[in-house]
Amino acid sequence: MQSGLKPRLERLFNRHGDGRAVCVAADHGYMSDVTDNVVQLRSITEAVVRGGVDGILVSPGQAMRLAPLFTGRDGPALIVRADWMNMPRLGSSNVLNAVPQRHLLHQKVLTAEQALSLGATAITIYLFVGYSDEVEARGIEVCAQFASECRKVGLPCIMEPLAVGGQVTGANTVELLTLGARMCVEIGADALKIPYTGDVESFANLVKVAQVPVLVLGGARSPSDRDALELFAEGLEAGCHGCLMGRNVTKAPDPERLIRQFGLVAHQGYSVDEALRGEKWDNVRLRVVTSKCTGCELCVNTCVGAHGAGEFSTHLARLSIDTLALGQHKVHYCTLCKKCIDICPTGALRWHPVSGAVELIVEQCTACGKCVDICPTNVIIKSDEKVFVNGAELPWVPVICDLCGGDPACARICPTEAITIDQRKVLK
Amino acid sequence: MIGIEYRLKTFISPKDGRCLLVDTSAGLSLGVLPGLENYPSAVRAILPQANGVVCSPGQIGRLGPLQKTDAALLVRMDWNNTLRKSDFVLPSAHPQRLPILTTQDALDLGAEAMISTFLLGFEEEVEAACLRSTVELALEGKRLGLPLVIEIQTTGSRVSLPGKAVELGASYALEGGADVIVVPYPGKSSLKTISQFVSVPWLLCPSSLQNARVELEEALGIGATGLWLGHAIFAEHNLPGLLDEFNRLLHPEIAAER
Repeated sequence: MQSGLKPRLERLFNRHGDGRAVCVAADHGYMSDVTDNVVQLRSITEAVVRGGVDGILVSPGQAMRLAPLFTGRDGPALIVRADWMNMPRLGSSNVLNAVPQRHLLHQKVLTAEQALSLGATAITIYLFVGYSDEVEARGIEVCAQFASECRKVGLPCIMEPLAVGGQVTGANTVELLTLGARMCVEIGADALKIPYTGDVESFANLVKVAQVPVLVLGGARSPSDRDALELFAEGLEAGCHGCLMGRNVTKAPDPERLIRQFGLVAHQGYSVDEALRGEKWDNVRLRVVTSKCTGCELCVNTCVGAHGAGEFSTHLARLSIDTLALGQHKVHYCTLCKKCIDICPTGALRWHPVSGAVELIVEQCTACGKCVDICPTNVIIKSDEKVFVNGAELPWVPVICDLCGGDPACARICPTEAITIDQRKVLK
Repeated sequence: MIGIEYRLKTFISPKDGRCLLVDTSAGLSLGVLPGLENYPSAVRAILPQANGVVCSPGQIGRLGPLQKTDAALLVRMDWNNTLRKSDFVLPSAHPQRLPILTTQDALDLGAEAMISTFLLGFEEEVEAACLRSTVELALEGKRLGLPLVIEIQTTGSRVSLPGKAVELGASYALEGGADVIVVPYPGKSSLKTISQFVSVPWLLCPSSLQNARVELEEALGIGATGLWLGHAIFAEHNLPGLLDEFNRLLHPEIAAER
């Protein structure tokens, strides 16, 4: 009786052959106040389809109206919201307070068969934990009914456990979400849509106990696209199978571009930085625009922090800033000029084969100091500690910029984009 | 969808895409109303001037036979007591709303569309039931080819921002699957917002008969499909003249042809 289940799950999770799905939740007008993303729903939906989204969650009414967007072999999977609740209009989470709600109400609206007749590839339903015993019991009843109906018609049932209400303390949120996730699976969920728990470790545990594909959701709009992508990347690192992002995408300045970036992270193995710039670079280099530097030294502090070189001293930082005059700063950084590599008499310095930065082979270093002397920007420094190599003692070794393995922390932290990264096409 | 498109055109003029609907179904909750004491003759008199008339299930069969220039008949699918104010003989203590027809019933009665109310600002359960019934009727309507018209009423005591509440109601109706939405006049700003996101035909229900002309002009200017008038018009002395005036606004080209 479940003959449709596997093909539909495949359609959702395996369009790219990697078991992952990038999906968008566009059902906000069905439950919360009318915000810009509700007003612009059609154009946003068209944009994310152009961006290559794998699935879109919509209300029953919009499923009827937006049906043409889901057609064709390349069309995204249609996920239909089969229940309804008033949670976004409760208390402090209420956007506009047009008609305030006093208590949480959650109800079944569609049957699985009706969702199927709308062309659904899957349905999504909530399970609220932490509000009250009655709401939780009602949620279990709704979920159990859907699980049963979905089994009969072979429709994947995505359950969405949410920790909401007076029993949620903040300290127990992760525990409640993990509980909710497992309860959903025990009821019969085929996949889960669930908030990120805040760290990879706890989310990995949640994914592990879930035992079904997990789609991470984003919640309220993050301050930037990068934040949303980083949340997703962490979710993938924890083992989730994709995302079902709502406001992070529908309220983004360019939903099409953001979905394309999500796709690069999910399906092409891009890092967040690579996805943001839309290119996977083999090697990078630092690029500095002096006029943008404010001399805040965040880069210097981050550099020592990123290399475990001590939190209270910056003398081991692999870049430095000189203040030339009031408001004028010069950043000294490794320009990959190769002079150190060329002058090293023992071949202890070379281009790192992966990151393209200068790499020190400690075993071949004699601490002759030639690299330190020749560095035109004075960013090769002598280490504080002695090093024992092959039974011999070296008084110091050169500390050299390693470009943080290809993702330089100084560029990531710079608030004014005075330091950015650029593609380094040739290792010369 | 063919049935729905066909039936929508029976009360939304195919010539100009505009429509004048008159709701005569308030007797379901309010009993005898001024001007509607003799229901069939009062309503038959306006059939040539309206594009559609909303009837209660019991009255819809008392208006025939219809001529081709008469208004289409639409049927009220639910009952509620929220129209009963404190000065009514039986004021409502608790808001109640009940479905009274199925989609199949509406089709059997010969209706061209179903009219259902979406109440906002009352108990949470009333709102939830409205949402559920909107989706149920929309799905059944799609199956049987019968359009669903959702009439938004934001008259509950818990409405704190009337304009935003109408926006919310329009959004719920749209997401629930309505084919036509009737919106009470929510003010300029909200009316503009509604015109931006409501992707189905929408009709304006004016705040009063006195304001109807101004509000209608404003709504038509930003894409409204037409006008929704209630039973109050039957108490007007010059009803044919009033409807003519609205028709000139709604269908200027058709009026000029006459």
